[in-house]
Amino acid sequence: MIGGGPSGLAAAVWLAEKGYDVAVVEVMGELGGMLTQCIHDGFGTRVFGEALSGPEFSERLVKKARLLGLKTFLNTYVKEVRIGKEFKEVVAVSPAGVQRLQTRVIVYAIGCRERNGFEIRLSGARPAGVYTAGMVQRLVNLYGVLPGRRIVIMGGGDVGMIVARHLHLEGVESILMVFPEAGFAGLPRNVQQCILDFGIPFRSRTVVKKVIGKKRVEGVVLTRVDEKWNPVEGTEEFHACDTVVLALGLVPYTGELKLGVRMDPATRGPEVNEFFETSVQGVFAVGNLVQVFDYVDDAFETACIAARGVEKYLNSGLKTAPIRLSPGENVRMLTPQRVEWVDDADVPVFLRPAVEKANVRIVVRNREGRVLGGFFKRYVRPSTLERIEVPRSMLSNLQEVSIDIAED
Amino acid sequence: MEWVEIGLSIGRIRGVEGVVNKIRWRGASGKEAREEWRRRVFEEKRNAVVGEYDVVIIGGGVVGAALARELSKYELKTALLEKSTDIAAGTTKANNGMIHAGVEPSRGTLKRMLNVRGNAMYGKLAEELGFRFNRVGSLWLVTPRTLASYRKYLLGPLYNLVLKHVFPWVVKIKGLVNEVRSIKIIRGRRIFELEPFATRDAVAAVYIPSTAVVDPYEVAVALAENAEANGVEIHLETEAVGFIKDGSVIRGVVTNKGVFLCRYVVNSAGLYADEVAALAGSEEYTIHPRKGVLLVFHRDTGVFTRHCLAEIILPQDPYTKGGGINPTVHGNVLWGPTAVEVPDKEDTSVTREEIEHVLNKYSGLVPGFPRDKVIRYFAGVRAATFTEDFVIRPAKWVRNLLHVAGIQSPGLAASPAIAEYAVEKLRGMGLRLKPKTGFNPRRRPMPRAADMSLEELEEKIRMDPAWGRIVCTCEFVSEAEIVEAVRRGAKTLDAVKRRTRAGMGECQGSFCTLETALILSRETGVPLDMLLKEEGRLFNGYVRGEQP
Repeated sequence: MIGGGPSGLAAAVWLAEKGYDVAVVEVMGELGGMLTQCIHDGFGTRVFGEALSGPEFSERLVKKARLLGLKTFLNTYVKEVRIGKEFKEVVAVSPAGVQRLQTRVIVYAIGCRERNGFEIRLSGARPAGVYTAGMVQRLVNLYGVLPGRRIVIMGGGDVGMIVARHLHLEGVESILMVFPEAGFAGLPRNVQQCILDFGIPFRSRTVVKKVIGKKRVEGVVLTRVDEKWNPVEGTEEFHACDTVVLALGLVPYTGELKLGVRMDPATRGPEVNEFFETSVQGVFAVGNLVQVFDYVDDAFETACIAARGVEKYLNSGLKTAPIRLSPGENVRMLTPQRVEWVDDADVPVFLRPAVEKANVRIVVRNREGRVLGGFFKRYVRPSTLERIEVPRSMLSNLQEVSIDIAED
Repeated sequence: MEWVEIGLSIGRIRGVEGVVNKIRWRGASGKEAREEWRRRVFEEKRNAVVGEYDVVIIGGGVVGAALARELSKYELKTALLEKSTDIAAGTTKANNGMIHAGVEPSRGTLKRMLNVRGNAMYGKLAEELGFRFNRVGSLWLVTPRTLASYRKYLLGPLYNLVLKHVFPWVVKIKGLVNEVRSIKIIRGRRIFELEPFATRDAVAAVYIPSTAVVDPYEVAVALAENAEANGVEIHLETEAVGFIKDGSVIRGVVTNKGVFLCRYVVNSAGLYADEVAALAGSEEYTIHPRKGVLLVFHRDTGVFTRHCLAEIILPQDPYTKGGGINPTVHGNVLWGPTAVEVPDKEDTSVTREEIEHVLNKYSGLVPGFPRDKVIRYFAGVRAATFTEDFVIRPAKWVRNLLHVAGIQSPGLAASPAIAEYAVEKLRGMGLRLKPKTGFNPRRRPMPRAADMSLEELEEKIRMDPAWGRIVCTCEFVSEAEIVEAVRRGAKTLDAVKRRTRAGMGECQGSFCTLETALILSRETGVPLDMLLKEEGRLFNGYVRGEQP
């Protein structure tokens, strides 16, 4: 198991409970991944039936792992992976030396990374004071240090809102959130609990045109944008601040995938089948590495599904010709991208809507466009990942299926 | 900008040795504030003596560092003063790392002579100082666009004939006149054997094998480290604010740290050389800052470019003279630089429009290049004078001051030769040079986990477990390397980054910045919230004002 965050731990615990010999390799000094810095609550409502903080959620998994005597390698970084006929070799580097682990299955659970300012072509010099939101969260929550005093947060998603609330509570002088959308891109519950409840100022349809400052951020030039996110001329305005926090979204951290696994340009993660196996046999990928999930509970569940897949793989489960699943109209991306195992269980499909709409039907179609089945949804929006359970009977004898969102 | 045009017009007149341009222009921010600050510090520090030196070098870019190392070969007490928190923090850190062959500069210029000589010196220097050096060679493509502006004079088939068979010779002869050897003209399939992804409409190419690439800050840091090991004192965060003079002789350099009494002064202050010259009473030139924007591509793209690639287009675009696509010693690829006159010496900003400009300008060169793989962009500012040549000569009105100014491109390539040339000038000014017996030309290279085999790494970890703790996963940088960088003098996050590459990969430091800062804080004893990025504070204060 490469990665000891919630997904990696969930899959490892699941497999260890079944008696498999599992080793977790984690690059950081402790297990839990990003949850260790997420001290806000709301994690685990589905998995544990209560709202936990990030560290509490991960502590439950870590306790289980300890009880099961799971092998864990901390401060250990996977440098190379070699795929043999029967065994795979993981070469990892740690303060204890170079470890060479022989394994039959590799599960990647290395999560996602934050988009940085360069990816959105942020203009300006590169002074101190421009940080990604996750880094700021870690700095504030784990080390008690503030990034600065007067903050501008770029991005109106969940991460941005949660960081805004934390910075507000930890005593910064001012916060302004800006985002190009007409409204917040995150979950409505976060808009209420993080922004409105604390009266944190925000400006929609606004972006940072340029970061001003040489040694340290001195301010930003803000500009209004239209519906297509094009700057509206004459609306530039200087706003003094000493810190720019980038909450620009997350992308699977695939730079660390050391194999020739096939990628999906839409999810930006590896392509997987219904048990989260990549295009390389016996190599699985789970959690936010596959597709960025809204809730840790989702990532947790994918890990459990993948663990079942690992079990099937180890017990020589059978595969059929793959059925390809692709996003159709109004769907930005989906996983799995193919279905190929012989199994009875329904196939959970996670999909990201491209539109915000009420009373819709998520429709499964064959190559000719014939409707095979539909799932009613009261409301879909891009910020909420949708999940449908597609019965296998619906997919039998097909090669290609597309899934789209249509009016009900 | 008109004020630049005016200066350049005068600078082009034969016999003009230097242009001082005092036209005031909009946006030249900070000069008055700097002058005011210097006056204040001068009064405060003029009586606090730091020490006595034979030579004081003002400015720790690659030129200052090369000079310091050159002087360390002799029995001299030398001090190198750098105003920033690290060596190479100005123009040196922000260029494309190219070691030009010397074809471009005009005959009879100092640039030409020192460029060709400097290029030849690099191989030995790299070997002695253990910095990465790669003689990749450059390939200048001749395409139908090359002489498009002159098309009306070259009718029909004549155009292609000139393009393919005459023009490459013009370039080659220019190179030969400049004493650049081994230039080859290649045509047809041979071009694509050398550069498989180059644009298919290249009809000929001029291949210059002596062009090389280095990591510019690695070179400067290596030079400075070796100079220091041979007795040169390096004073960081030390800025010259004025001079104590006795008639036309400088007796001491006054800085924010006190007075450096000295017999000779070298002004290698880069962008600020004109201001330093003015402070010394020998204002002979004005620096007009010229910005260059560069894009850094992901290491995955290294396969697309083997040589420093450029397309010759005449007449040159005044907005981006030269520039091209070139590989780096780390496997990344750089596109650029642009060349834009800017009023502000510290304008290293990059705008979205500039990025687009560079992308559009070079995408035709390597059509299959994944242009969306830009992981970073930056800008550097060149220290150009209006005569556009290097200014390396004794000051006219101060007897013991040597100017080493106007070092713009190809300054990095020329720097070893500049250092030798400047030391000869100092000798001519009366400095006694007695070779030092114990001079050690070698420097222990910075060890890197990424360059080691597993066995070597295993051995290192056995001696020090910190080698096994990988802090920057994108670039495979271990904790031990960060500790080593600090031990070698890195005080800031950017100084650590330049020495180790921590934070230079795909995620651009979103994972490792904090971890690196924690190690830096532990090793230097500077609290986390007081650390610097380069000169600006990284963080600011504690939650709810409580220091743990």
